[in-house]
Amino acid sequence: MSSASARIWTASATLVLVVGLVGGVVTTRVELAAAAGLGLVCAGMAWVIQVRVPTSPVAPALAWCSASVVLVLIVDALSDGALGVGVSALTSLFATAIWPLNLAGLLALLLVFPDGRRRGPLDRAVPWLFLGASALLLGGLWGGDEPAGPGLAAAAVGIALVGVSMVLATVSMALRYRAGGELAREQIRWLMLAGAVVVALLVGGWAAEAAGVSITQAYAPFVVGILVLVPLAVGVAIVRHDLFDIDRIVSEGAASAATVVVAAGAYGVAVGVVGSLADRYTAIGPAVGGFVAALVLLPTYRVLRDATARVLDRDRFRAVRRVEQFTAAVRSGQAQPEQVEDVLRGAQDDEDLRLLLIDGSQWVGLDGRPAPECEGIDVSSGGDVVARLVLGRDSLRARRLAAALARAAWIPIEVSRLRLGLRRSQARIAQATAQERKRWERDLHDSAQQRILATGMRLRCLQPGLDADRSAEIDLAVTELQDTIAELRRLAQGVRPSRLDDGLDAALEDLRQTTPLPMDLQVCDLPEVDESRTLAAYLVVTEALANTLKHGQASRIAVRVGRDANRLVVEVCDDGVGGIATADALTSLQDRVLSVGGNLAVSSPAGMGTEIRAVL
Amino acid sequence: MRVVLAEDSVLFREGLVRLLESAGHDVVAAVADATALVATVAELGPDLVIADIRMPPDMDSDGARAAVEIRHQNPAVGVLLLSQHIELRHCLSLIGSPGFGYLLKDRVLNLDDFTDALVRVASGGTALDPEIVKALVQPRLRSGIGALTQREREILGLVAEGRSNASIARRLSLSDRTVEAHMRTIFHKLGLEDDGTTHRRVLAVVTYLESHRPPDAP
Repeated sequence: MSSASARIWTASATLVLVVGLVGGVVTTRVELAAAAGLGLVCAGMAWVIQVRVPTSPVAPALAWCSASVVLVLIVDALSDGALGVGVSALTSLFATAIWPLNLAGLLALLLVFPDGRRRGPLDRAVPWLFLGASALLLGGLWGGDEPAGPGLAAAAVGIALVGVSMVLATVSMALRYRAGGELAREQIRWLMLAGAVVVALLVGGWAAEAAGVSITQAYAPFVVGILVLVPLAVGVAIVRHDLFDIDRIVSEGAASAATVVVAAGAYGVAVGVVGSLADRYTAIGPAVGGFVAALVLLPTYRVLRDATARVLDRDRFRAVRRVEQFTAAVRSGQAQPEQVEDVLRGAQDDEDLRLLLIDGSQWVGLDGRPAPECEGIDVSSGGDVVARLVLGRDSLRARRLAAALARAAWIPIEVSRLRLGLRRSQARIAQATAQERKRWERDLHDSAQQRILATGMRLRCLQPGLDADRSAEIDLAVTELQDTIAELRRLAQGVRPSRLDDGLDAALEDLRQTTPLPMDLQVCDLPEVDESRTLAAYLVVTEALANTLKHGQASRIAVRVGRDANRLVVEVCDDGVGGIATADALTSLQDRVLSVGGNLAVSSPAGMGTEIRAVL
Repeated sequence: MRVVLAEDSVLFREGLVRLLESAGHDVVAAVADATALVATVAELGPDLVIADIRMPPDMDSDGARAAVEIRHQNPAVGVLLLSQHIELRHCLSLIGSPGFGYLLKDRVLNLDDFTDALVRVASGGTALDPEIVKALVQPRLRSGIGALTQREREILGLVAEGRSNASIARRLSLSDRTVEAHMRTIFHKLGLEDDGTTHRRVLAVVTYLESHRPPDAP
C-alpha cells in the first residue's frame, strides 16, 4: 500500500469520526457521540502507526474498524431524521441493509494484521466476496419496507455470504498464525481473542433482538466491543510485543502524560492549599503551585518512566537493568570490566554478539586480536568512536536494544579499551626496546669493531720492513686494539647477547660457561616466541643470576626453561639464604616480565633459597 | 694461492686484501654480497673463499648459507668464514668437514696464525676458533674421548676428515654395519644421545679436533 493512499484512508476514517462526534453532540445523540469519541482514541492509535510505518495498511484498517461502526450510526441517525425528512427518506432506503459495514474495518484488520501483507488468493478474494455479499444484501433490502420474495432471498444469500467472508478472513488469520513466528503468533492471538469476543457479541445481539430486546440495546455490547476491544487488542499486541517499534514511544509518551497529570495535580493542590490558607486569591498561590509542580516534575517523570517501562517494555527494561547492575559492580570493584562482552551477550540474548574496540586505527577484540571491521552499533567517547557492538542476530529491535545496552555499559567498555590499550602499548614498547637492543648490538659489531679491525690491519701492513723496536711497538698497538674489540664484544653482549640469534638455549649455554657459579641448565622443548620475549627470558635469567651472586650466598643455581602450552616458562632456583623482599630487589625483573605481558612469581623464604618463575 | 674474498665493509675488505697480498696470496676477486660470491666462485674456481658471515642481501647468515652452497657445488674449494661474534645457525653441517674454517674476525690481526689457518683450510684441513669450539663442546664430551678404544679413535679421526661411513668402511676393510656400530658406541661414550636436535656427528668431530689440538692454536 502506498503511504499516500494509506494516509487518505486513515484521514477519511478520522473525518467520519469527527463528523460523528460533532453530529452526536449537536443532535444530542449520546450513543453516536460516545462511539465517535471512542473511535477517535482508536484513530489516534492508528495515526501513531501511520507515522511510524507509513505504508502499512494496518493503520487505515484500525481507523476504519471504528469509523465504519460510527458511519453506520450516522446513517441510522440520518434515517432517523437528524438532518430533516429529505435526507431521512433517502438514507432509510438502505439503512436496514447497511449493517455489514460494521464489520468492514474488522475484516480488513483480520486480513492485514500484523505485518500488513496479504499473501494468498484467499486474502485477495475475501474483500471482493464481502463487497459482493454486501451489495446483494443492499439490493435485496433496497427500499427499506418489507422486502418481497426474491429480494428477501437475495438478502438471505447476502447475509450468508457476509458470514462466509468473515469465516474466511478468520481462516486466513489462522493460516498466518500457523505460518508466523513466535512474535507474530503472540500478536495475532490478542486480535483473535478480541475478534472472537466481537463476533460472539454480534451473534448475542441477534439472539437478543430475536428475543424482543430493542435493536439499540441488543447491539450496544457489539458496538462497544468493536470500538473498545479490537483497538485494545491491537494496542496490546503492539505495545507488549513490540510491533512497529512503538513500545518505547508509547511507554515514554504514557510516562510523559502521567507526569503532566501529576504535575498539574500538584499545582492545583498547592494553589488550593495556599489559597485556603491565605483565605483569598493571592499571587502567592500560583507561584507556590508552579514551584511545587517544578519540584515534582523530574523525580515523578523518572519514577513513572521506570514504572511504565517495567510494565510496557519489560524485556528491554530488564536487559538494561542487568547491564546497569554490572556497571555498578565494575565501579565497586566486584567485577572485571572485560566481562562486559559476556554480560552484553546475556542481556541482548545473542550468543554471537561481539564487542570490538578501537586501538589506534585498528579494530581489535577484547583479547587484543585484530578483528575485521564490521557493521554495528558504535559507542562513542568524547565524540570519537571507541567501540562497536556487532550483533549476531540483527534487527531493528535488536539494534535499538543494543544501543541502549551500549549506553548503559559505556564505563566498562571504555575501561576495557583503555586497559587493553595499555597492555598493547607496553608490549609495543618492549618490542621496540628489543629491536633497539638488537640494532645497538649490530651497530657495535658491524661499525665500531670493523673500523678498529681495519686500523689494526693497516698497522699490520706497515709492519714488514720495520726495525725490531718499531715492530714491537706495532704489536703492542695491535694487542691494544684486540683488547678493545674484546671489550666492545662484552659491551654488545650486555646489550643483547648475539648468541640469541642461535636460540635461547645457545645463549643460556654461553651464560652457563661464563658464570662464576655452578649452574645446572635444563632446556626443554621451547615454544615459538618473538624477540622481545626471548630477550626478556634471557634477561630474567641474568638478572636473577646477578641477584643471587649479590645477595644469595648460594653455591649452585638451577635454570630451567620450558613451555606451558604456547607460553615460555623460565625457572631459576638457588640454594642461598633466601628472604629477599620481592618489592625491592626484583622490581626491574617484575617490570621486564610485565612489559611483555607475562607474570612473575617469586618465592624466597628466609634460609630456604630463592625460586623465581616467569611465564611469558 | 688464489683467494676470493666476500665482505660488505669496505674498510675491512680493503684491509684484508692488502694483508693477503702482502702475505703473497692472489686475491682474484673481492665482492660485497653473498649472491655475487656464489657466482664469482662458480666462475673463477679459486683455492680458497674467505667470507663474512653477516652480509647483504639479508644481513643475516647469508655468508654461511653461501658457504653451504659453494661446498655443495664445488667441494674442492676451501671455505673460511669470518664473524664478529659466534653465530652457528647455518654452518653446523660444515663444521669439522675438511677444507672448512670458522674464525672470529679479530684473529686476522694475528697475522702468522691467520695465514697458517688459510693454508690449512685451502689444503683440506680445518680451522676453528677456540671460542667456537668452546661454544660447541660441552665439558662432559672432552672427558669422553679418553674412553674410546684405538679403533674408535681411528674411525672418529676419519670422520673428522669428512669421510662418510661407507668410505671409512672401505678404508679400514670393515663392513658398513660394523662402522655404524662403532659410531653408535662412540656417540654413547661421548654422551651424545640422539635427541633429534643436535648434530651428533658434528659434536663428536669437534670434540675429537679439540682433543688433538695444541693449546691456543686457532
